[in-house]
Amino acid sequence: MWRLITGSFQNFMGTGLIMGWYLLTLVYLWFTEKDRRRRVLLLYVPLAVLALYFNPLFARLVYGAVGDEIYYRILWLLPVTIVVAYGTACVYGRIKSRKKYWFAALSAVLVMVSGSCVYCSPHFHRAENLYHMPQAVVDICDAIQVEGREVMAVFPKEMLSLVRQYTPLVCMPYGREMLVSRWGADNPLYDAMEAEVLDMNVILPLAKTYSSHFVIVPEGKETVGNVEDYGFVLVDRIDGYVIYQDTGVYIGL
Amino acid sequence: MAIIAGCFILCIWLVGIPLLTGAVPAFFTERRKHSLSFMWTSGYILSWALFQLVTVPLVLLHVSQGFKLAVKLFAGLSLALAAVGAFLLLRYGKKKSPHLSLIKGESDRGRLHRIYWVIFLVLAALQLALAVGMTYQDGDDAYYVAISTLTESSNTLYELMPYSMGATGLDMRHGLAPFPVWIAFLARISGLPAVSVAHVAVPLALIPTTYMIFYQIGGQLFDKKKERLPLFLCFTAILVIFGNYSLYTAENFMLARSRQGKSALGCIVIPMVLLLFFLILDRAEKGQKDQWMLWLLLGAAVTAACLCTTLGTMLMCLLLGVTGLCSALAYRRLGLAVKTALCCAPALVYAALYFVVE
Repeated sequence: MWRLITGSFQNFMGTGLIMGWYLLTLVYLWFTEKDRRRRVLLLYVPLAVLALYFNPLFARLVYGAVGDEIYYRILWLLPVTIVVAYGTACVYGRIKSRKKYWFAALSAVLVMVSGSCVYCSPHFHRAENLYHMPQAVVDICDAIQVEGREVMAVFPKEMLSLVRQYTPLVCMPYGREMLVSRWGADNPLYDAMEAEVLDMNVILPLAKTYSSHFVIVPEGKETVGNVEDYGFVLVDRIDGYVIYQDTGVYIGL
Repeated sequence: MAIIAGCFILCIWLVGIPLLTGAVPAFFTERRKHSLSFMWTSGYILSWALFQLVTVPLVLLHVSQGFKLAVKLFAGLSLALAAVGAFLLLRYGKKKSPHLSLIKGESDRGRLHRIYWVIFLVLAALQLALAVGMTYQDGDDAYYVAISTLTESSNTLYELMPYSMGATGLDMRHGLAPFPVWIAFLARISGLPAVSVAHVAVPLALIPTTYMIFYQIGGQLFDKKKERLPLFLCFTAILVIFGNYSLYTAENFMLARSRQGKSALGCIVIPMVLLLFFLILDRAEKGQKDQWMLWLLLGAAVTAACLCTTLGTMLMCLLLGVTGLCSALAYRRLGLAVKTALCCAPALVYAALYFVVE
């Protein structure tokens, strides 16, 4: 249990530097803050929360109730940003000469170096449109959906999390559950779609079992098999993807 | 034309309605000390609490076309509350709050003071611009944003599978925290796609809400040294921007996942609870008795936390429990602990509902 608690804390604090500044600021405020309100809310409460967080008995209770994945969210009760900013402003206020401006600049640099820019994360991209969806998803869904009814389409894995955000009219035989390994989802059609070489002799019969109207594959990927043998035809190429439609499945209203 | 109209309606519901709703609690607290920022933030808390109270019974009762009914009920109640707030503002606003302004009481304290304000506003504006111009694809959006899209198009509440297809049994874990349904409400009322409302409009409203709470907390911290307030806000902005030291921080959630309920919990509701305790303890120290609106707001904040995520029930009970106990011991007033415990009631109700129905 102790290892789970400390592991969760280490994951939360990442590099540890901002948390270090926070704990340092708590020590500073412990000795300098005289206002009772601020001591209660910025010192006693966070310290009590930390004491509970690191208490194995408490952790066992919470793990039992909510699981281990989100135990770290208790640390959201710590006002890290407010306390570090407050401590910095307090020290700034104590410096009387022009040195305080250098202190402010140095502190800002220290925070930037200690932390990590959110926008530099590899998960951040330039938005391609006002849906904040890849344009390929928007274009493909617009091309295949039929107003007034749902269509079934098989998508490559990079689109599985996105399609249903954009439109409810496009259904999929499998979705995001395939991307989260700990959920243990299994689907032979997904495996066939993510193979190095796309074997249409495997993919298309499996797609038919889901009454899929469309199968979408990346244009650059090597494929084997003849789609016409299974009643599919190529209907469009959009944004680096090829759309095949099953002519044997009715798509009207 | 439809898009412009939709954006205008969104502005009304994301700015106007919270402001007018917040005028009600602002009227019953010390009006001279409260500003548009208090109205805005308390308006959001009250709106979210109201939405939770309206929507969860409809989810649990499996009401047919439940979302349609939720929209009508919530819109009606919100407009009624906003109308009361507008009446109070018009009737008493000029007389009682002559300095109603966003940055209340900020007189000219020198060039450097203004420079710090400019730096903070530039950093905040940068975050808003990047909220529109950049996108963060998070796997959880496949659930939450898809729920918003499905709800808005189907008028059902948690009855369809967001990941792939088809109907599902009632998803209790998420149904008790219908924050995505609030986004679906905004999409329905504005006529704009739920995905755009979630990814663009909601961050544009919620990021400033967080900073308004920080601003008010700063006002409490630097009550007698207001010249430090803009520097404090500059550092909050820098700490938020550089808060990606792990994927699990509230700051990361605030900028990367603003559309998710958990972000609203960590970046708005929890800081709002801290602010409310600053206000409550301030009055406790001064021996002032008219605190009932602040306790009501605290209860509303707990309810709003339950809207954001089912974990909100536990976190609110923990936060209020610890804060109530520490306050009662520090001030030697048992009443503080008792009232704080009473404010936990919504969380306990939703937690009980969760365990009973699961």
